[in-house]
Amino acid sequence: MTRDAEGTEAMESLYPFLYSRQTDLAAVLDQVRQSTMDKAREITALRATVLQQDRTRLAECADAMAAAFATGGRLLAFGNGGSSTDSQDMASLFLSPSSGERPLPAFGLTNDIAVVTALCNDIGFDVVFARQIEAWGQRGDIAVGLSTSGNSANLLRAFDAAHERGMVTVGIAGYDGGKMAELDSIDYLFVVPSPSVHRIQEAQTTVYHALWELTHATLAAAR
Amino acid sequence: MASPASGSELVDAVFGRRAEPVQDLADQADTVARTCHAMALRFHQGGKLIVFGNGGASTDAQHVAVEFVHPVIVGKRALAAVSLTADVATLTGVANRLGLSEVFVHQLRFLSVPADIALGISADGECENVLSGLRCARERGLLTVALTGGDGGRIARDDGVDHVLVAHSDDPRVVKEVHVTTYHILWELVHVFFEHPGVLDEEVAS
Repeated sequence: MTRDAEGTEAMESLYPFLYSRQTDLAAVLDQVRQSTMDKAREITALRATVLQQDRTRLAECADAMAAAFATGGRLLAFGNGGSSTDSQDMASLFLSPSSGERPLPAFGLTNDIAVVTALCNDIGFDVVFARQIEAWGQRGDIAVGLSTSGNSANLLRAFDAAHERGMVTVGIAGYDGGKMAELDSIDYLFVVPSPSVHRIQEAQTTVYHALWELTHATLAAAR
Repeated sequence: MASPASGSELVDAVFGRRAEPVQDLADQADTVARTCHAMALRFHQGGKLIVFGNGGASTDAQHVAVEFVHPVIVGKRALAAVSLTADVATLTGVANRLGLSEVFVHQLRFLSVPADIALGISADGECENVLSGLRCARERGLLTVALTGGDGGRIARDDGVDHVLVAHSDDPRVVKEVHVTTYHILWELVHVFFEHPGVLDEEVAS
């Protein structure tokens, strides 16, 4: 240890410029380590908040979803950007579970790029989900829309279209819920209250994972 | 249908399962920091990020790509990133001709350059095509990074992977959630190194 320290000192006097940059690197690495630990703490605290706030509603929503699946309903999931990947993940989790659970019918409304770009090009981005729901959503199906802001115009239109058709509507939003919180067309709204878009998405993932697990538990209990 | 009381208990159990694996990620903060630094060096050298995975992880690959290309935080620079799961024509074409094991290797062979970063995501660390993609990337001189879960699997034990972050849980949903936090952190903290350009010089890198 002492010999290393002496060696480092000698090298430092020979190459002071290089060593000051290494000190910088050590400081930046330290900052990044600390930030990593802070973010881990944040997401765990946020999940605890969501659980506190939505424990009962999650169970109720899963019961409604299970009832819909039990009578032939299908799940249609949608979102933009990172939330589009979450909606595709959610649909695939229901349709093709990796750990042997019963597959349930589900579609991601961002999966077909031909449909998405056709609607965007011919009509506009605001109708990209609503038109798909109008085309083949049915009474008893489930519509799940994910948005961090809660303000995406194409989600708002989709919830209205789904509600009109008698679908079960589930909204997963962030911050204060945005405009999704003002809609009458969302049956079950889950709002992840955080100022960080990243932490919001991470807790939203837990929300839809919980809905999937609870839906299966309800379906199993009903058998 | 289940009674609300038992449903609520199950909700508690589901949420409770997340805390420990997240703490475990915090315990890997040193690996996270070194991975961010190595990735920042590659971006600094003009490399791009190439992401791949199967099933749910294919959506994570696309999420990572959009995260880097279109930053959600105003003022952060856009970085080149591509998911190997978005081109369904190539994916199914290669799978049909050569098998699913070749879908990522094929794209890496023709789309990557040595300065790039390969990020493979596998919930159990056992995906054959992710492992062979990472090995191919390593041979071509790319930086290789893996996000795995469970006990880390074959991918975590492979010599061809430079940086491995393991989400220690047997529940693939929990693993996925830890992965989302991990790649959000990787994205955000790569940018910290750009704010200190001195630490991206080659002398410091070696």
